[in-house]
Amino acid sequence: MATIAVPLGAEAEEQVADAVKRPALSEYLRWSVDHKIIGVQYGIASFIFFIVGGAMAMLIRLELWSPDLDLMVSGAAYNSLFTIHGTIMIFLFIIPMWAAFGNFVVPLQLGAKDMAFPWLNAFAFWLIPPAAIVVLLGYFVSPAEAGWTSYPPLSTLFSGDGQTLWALGAHLLGISSIMGSINFIVTIFNMRPPEMTVWRMPLLCWAVLATSIIAVMATPFLAGALTLLLLDRVAGTTFFDAAGGGDVLLWQNIFWFYSHPAVYIMVLPGMGVLSEVLAIHSRKPVFGYRMVGLSSMGIAFVGFTVWAHHMFTSLQPELRIPFMITTMIIAVPTGIKMFSWLGTIWGGKIRFTSAMLFALGFLSLFVIGGITGVMLAALPFDIHVHDTYFVVSHFHFVLFGGSVFAIYAALYHWFPKITGRMMNERLGVIHFVFTYLGFLFTFFPMHIVGMLGMPRRVAVYDARFTDWNQFISFSAFVLGFSTFIVIYNIIRSYYRGPIAGANPWRALTLEWQTTSPPPPTNFVDDPIPFEEPYGYGTAASAAYLEAVDEAFGRDDPSQ
Amino acid sequence: MTSYAEPREKPKLGRPSEADLRLKNNRLGMTIFQLSWIMAFVAMIIVNWQLRFSYSEWPPAGVAPFDPLLPSSATLALLLSAFLVRRGVEAQRSGHLIGFTMCWRGAMALGVAFMAVIIYEFVNVSAAAMATQYGITMRLMTGFHFVHALAIVAVLLHVYRKGSRGHYSSDSWALEGAAKLWYFVTLAWMLFYVVLYWIR
Repeated sequence: MATIAVPLGAEAEEQVADAVKRPALSEYLRWSVDHKIIGVQYGIASFIFFIVGGAMAMLIRLELWSPDLDLMVSGAAYNSLFTIHGTIMIFLFIIPMWAAFGNFVVPLQLGAKDMAFPWLNAFAFWLIPPAAIVVLLGYFVSPAEAGWTSYPPLSTLFSGDGQTLWALGAHLLGISSIMGSINFIVTIFNMRPPEMTVWRMPLLCWAVLATSIIAVMATPFLAGALTLLLLDRVAGTTFFDAAGGGDVLLWQNIFWFYSHPAVYIMVLPGMGVLSEVLAIHSRKPVFGYRMVGLSSMGIAFVGFTVWAHHMFTSLQPELRIPFMITTMIIAVPTGIKMFSWLGTIWGGKIRFTSAMLFALGFLSLFVIGGITGVMLAALPFDIHVHDTYFVVSHFHFVLFGGSVFAIYAALYHWFPKITGRMMNERLGVIHFVFTYLGFLFTFFPMHIVGMLGMPRRVAVYDARFTDWNQFISFSAFVLGFSTFIVIYNIIRSYYRGPIAGANPWRALTLEWQTTSPPPPTNFVDDPIPFEEPYGYGTAASAAYLEAVDEAFGRDDPSQ
Repeated sequence: MTSYAEPREKPKLGRPSEADLRLKNNRLGMTIFQLSWIMAFVAMIIVNWQLRFSYSEWPPAGVAPFDPLLPSSATLALLLSAFLVRRGVEAQRSGHLIGFTMCWRGAMALGVAFMAVIIYEFVNVSAAAMATQYGITMRLMTGFHFVHALAIVAVLLHVYRKGSRGHYSSDSWALEGAAKLWYFVTLAWMLFYVVLYWIR
């Protein structure tokens, strides 16, 4: 079945480790067009931003410990703090973090030597550090105070010059995102081996394809909106100023036409990761493979028709019902994925690895975020909880409980491939327990305080919410602490982790059919994909994995 | 700039050669870029369209509509220029270097003439129009388009200078890519032209 010709033989594991040297750490600080280096560069950069943004979240929770202003000098200082927190987490952490895994894994899964445009790939990454500097500089100069959504007139009349720098930085990040996404689409369409039809593509590739289609079609709208904002702030135009014939709703329309699809940019790759991890760690084929691939496309398509549900309180009333309906429709492709994941693990031979635990964590938390999403889609309820902590809770359930849990699952799952060493499973489990409980007790009570009427984006709140907020803040500190466990685990495992071998999870997708880490050209010879990417539990798949073991040396530290 | 002068590798069974794959990637990448970035122009059209609702009539009362005569001639020049770019690429493909240089010189001259008209129109928006979104969105759209036209004329010039010295082989991507960027500028302007001068 498998014809993988690598001249390694079933020798001792040291020899396998010596055969492929890890790139020196200094490689990651240089310009490189190797997609594996670029993937790690994206990963490290965005993880640093995650820590910075997380530290800001800790400050926010510290401020909210008491109902009065104590940590912050003013409400404006608090405004700029949550603005930069949101901006960092969305534009500098989650979106580039998926570019990290996409870059490292997608060409390997497709059996390709590199991305379609290696130079463009490196350029897209190197736009991020200057953009980040511009955005962060703005925070220290004269911070933006209008939230990450930057609604005018807050962002035109009230924010400082940091708002201008914010818009410039976001512009650069958008251009980086478009270039990266063009690269992904071309790679996925053109660089597959001839044996791999689209219906044999790993589901992460489907998800990255859908994500990239959203990114290339929606991000130009962000560019348009930011251009208008910059002109209003710098050149004296009046696009958002009713006194000059402008319209404040113009920003909301153009911005959300990008930013609602952008929430799918942030979560769709996580859904792809989940299909990979759940199938591999429960040794079962993905339930309803085609529908999962198509549902990614469905989410990408329907995601363009729902933007105005962010504007239920500002929109013309007669447009609300259509947007309410489209918003509810998007639960259908998401539900297809949910049932596929449940069907995949149902009756499987589940191994509770750290990657699997985080994937199951995603499953349980994302369903809560999804259901509160349907609740918010319902117009009467949305108006009741508009701009309360219920909304904060909802989007943290999908972006932290969804995206971040999927990022952790992906980290534990692909770390052996990236570094050649296993992560510590015991620390992984401890990390999972702290993250899961910390997360749940931080964000679940926010539903309740939201429904009780606590508004979001305020530093000073009614004293009757104090107990709730202290409980939330305490849980948030636990959640913040849990990040140090994974940082320690990454560093420790990088140097001392057990040697992973080519295929520690005994997976069938192509990224595992080469050494860990892969050689510079990824595969010594053109790899031949197994007939089904998730065809676990058949004699043919066992034979294929046997052949892989023989080619690279059997090495299964997870056993 | 990638050189395409190297001999093609013998293709393996079922897999395209490196050079073929690169050309295929470039073509698809360009198509996706065009589809993607045209959305930025569509966004500008939506801006124009939404701001019209701030006024009971368009152009707003007391503002003279733009005279379409000069922009229409510029649009014709741009269309002719795109056609000449196409002819130039075809001439170079079939080995007529002179045909290529003549066509592209003409195309670039027409492109510059187009941009000159746009600058003239941009500068001469009346004060009455600039007091309303009618003038402001016009400057936004023509200015946004002008930045792209300028950048891509620079690309055309760069490729022309190399191409006129016979730098590119007949299956070169550089000429085709530059030409496709110019078509993009042409199409984007056609959208703006209709919205700015004909939809009242």
